[in-house]
Amino acid sequence: MKKRMRLTIRTRNVLEAYSFLSLWLIGFALFMAIPLGRSLYYSFNQLKVTKEGLVPNWIGMANFRRAFSTDVNFIPLLQDSILGLLIQVPLILIFAMFAALLLNRPMIGRTFFRGVFFLPVIIASGAVLVEMLEQGAERMPLFTSSSLFLALVDIIPRDVLEPLLTLADKLTLVMWDSGVQILIFLAGLQTVSLSLYEAADIDGATKWESFWKITFPMITPMILVNTLFTIVNSFTSARNEMMLYIRDVVFSKNDYGYGSTIGWIYFILIFLLIGLVFLIFRKSLSSTEGRR
Amino acid sequence: MKSSLSLDKLLQVRKSVMDLGNQTHAWPYTVKKKVTLIISRISLYLVLSALSFVFVYPLLFIVSQSLMMPSDVSDSTVQWIPRALNLLNYKDAFAALGGSANRTYWDAFGLSVVISFGSALLQVFSCALAGYALGRYRFPGYTACLSLVLFAFLVPPQTIVVPLFQLFSDFHWINTFYPFVIPSAMGHGLKGALFVLIFIQFFHRLPYVLEEAARIDGASAYRTYWTIMLPLARPAMLVVFLFSVVWHWNDMFEPNLFLRIPNFYNLSQTLGIFNGIGSSQIDAATSGLTAAQTIGAAPTIMNKVMAGAMLSILPMLILYLFTQRYFVESVERAGIAGE
Repeated sequence: MKKRMRLTIRTRNVLEAYSFLSLWLIGFALFMAIPLGRSLYYSFNQLKVTKEGLVPNWIGMANFRRAFSTDVNFIPLLQDSILGLLIQVPLILIFAMFAALLLNRPMIGRTFFRGVFFLPVIIASGAVLVEMLEQGAERMPLFTSSSLFLALVDIIPRDVLEPLLTLADKLTLVMWDSGVQILIFLAGLQTVSLSLYEAADIDGATKWESFWKITFPMITPMILVNTLFTIVNSFTSARNEMMLYIRDVVFSKNDYGYGSTIGWIYFILIFLLIGLVFLIFRKSLSSTEGRR
Repeated sequence: MKSSLSLDKLLQVRKSVMDLGNQTHAWPYTVKKKVTLIISRISLYLVLSALSFVFVYPLLFIVSQSLMMPSDVSDSTVQWIPRALNLLNYKDAFAALGGSANRTYWDAFGLSVVISFGSALLQVFSCALAGYALGRYRFPGYTACLSLVLFAFLVPPQTIVVPLFQLFSDFHWINTFYPFVIPSAMGHGLKGALFVLIFIQFFHRLPYVLEEAARIDGASAYRTYWTIMLPLARPAMLVVFLFSVVWHWNDMFEPNLFLRIPNFYNLSQTLGIFNGIGSSQIDAATSGLTAAQTIGAAPTIMNKVMAGAMLSILPMLILYLFTQRYFVESVERAGIAGE
């Protein structure tokens, strides 16, 4: 008791903060820091499964060499998943922004439409999505029906039409994936003060101009949040092929060391990608700072 | 209040003056404006309805497919609505979703409930603790801790799969619900770092007055937190809870890692192996067909799988039916999009 009295307010504050944070920090060490370090160590080893557990055997860079030279599956998979992200992220962002702008209009049934747009987050993720994709449910009859194809093939050349319809197919998946992002954009749109639009309107700005001069700069932070969320969400997505491949390597082939290696390569590439995102946003973020 | 009203009036006057200047059109300005308003309204509803169809489509697809019988599938006149309401698919799916012979649907369901609701409840409280520390206090190491949270958010689980599996098997936690619940209790687990970030954001925006008043009245930091700050954070807690439940329910990655025997599978996994049984039969049946043809003429086992999909997602649908408002509104109220 006496000792506690002697603490300054500042020390007490620090102690309190860390006591609130301690549970999370212990968890971080247990479930994040130590596994991450171990996985880095394993990536330079070959792990043998014995009765005493996993026995590491140092083989240096051999796992990394294998990933980039002998493994025929890994590089194409890596390319696919990174390229997939690079295409998916802007598509999701554009669609989510578009949907949020529509849903932000005052109208009858707004809550209903918002509820509908969020529905795929509840049902079309995880196992159910996998089942539906297997049945080709993402290919809406609208786009794949032969009558639409035949109707359009006269107007648009076949070489252009086919990829176009395939893209339309892919778009349904993009739309189903953007539920949370729409909500985040909506929340962002609500924070933009209406008086800004009024002022722009009085000064003669068109809707188009006030979108690019007001809305877009004001919700740049939300674009960053959504970009990060989309990238992070793709890791645990049921359609993440890197995850399936690592699971296959680790649990079917019992190749623990190599599994860690490709996990780390994936991690490094993702971090480079995220670094790039931050670099792109740094300028626009610092310019919006303090405007709120 | 009064001054803002008069400002509004001033703006209105200015606007109507400008409108007067614009009245060189053939139509009176107001009529033209009304027409464009109506057209834009109609097109807004058209676009929204078309988009809504895409979003409701998965649900329609599941419901319609799950009710179809072999006769409906082979009948080309049946597109969406089966000829007779038949729940046989559901009966078969209900039996198969147990995962193994000595389990029923309710066993897998129970495990899913424990994992998703248990983890969600624990995450609400543990992530709130960490979020409170980082949202309200400034202390040496603050930036480092904040970076750790961001870092934890960004690390792909793929990278730490092997050591995590090793850790949990050392603890003999494989095939139990501990690998989900224990990390959640410490503010980690599925998207734990994201939830901490939500709480940081929320607590950061609360006014300091209440807290200071409590402290001056002699409440300890922990009591202030528990009796004043945490109850204020209800909107954020609701967001975290609902999202955590749904994400845990639908998640396949962690269950596939840590629940390794069909006797300990949760619903999303039993649905997965149900299809595994199904697809091998399909491969045999349709090996001569192209992919496009298979989609049109899906063998009837897939209708059972769709019934299974409906059964596995039904609890979440019911939850969503009652909490839809909170899902959609709470993101705004929790101020996720704050700064």
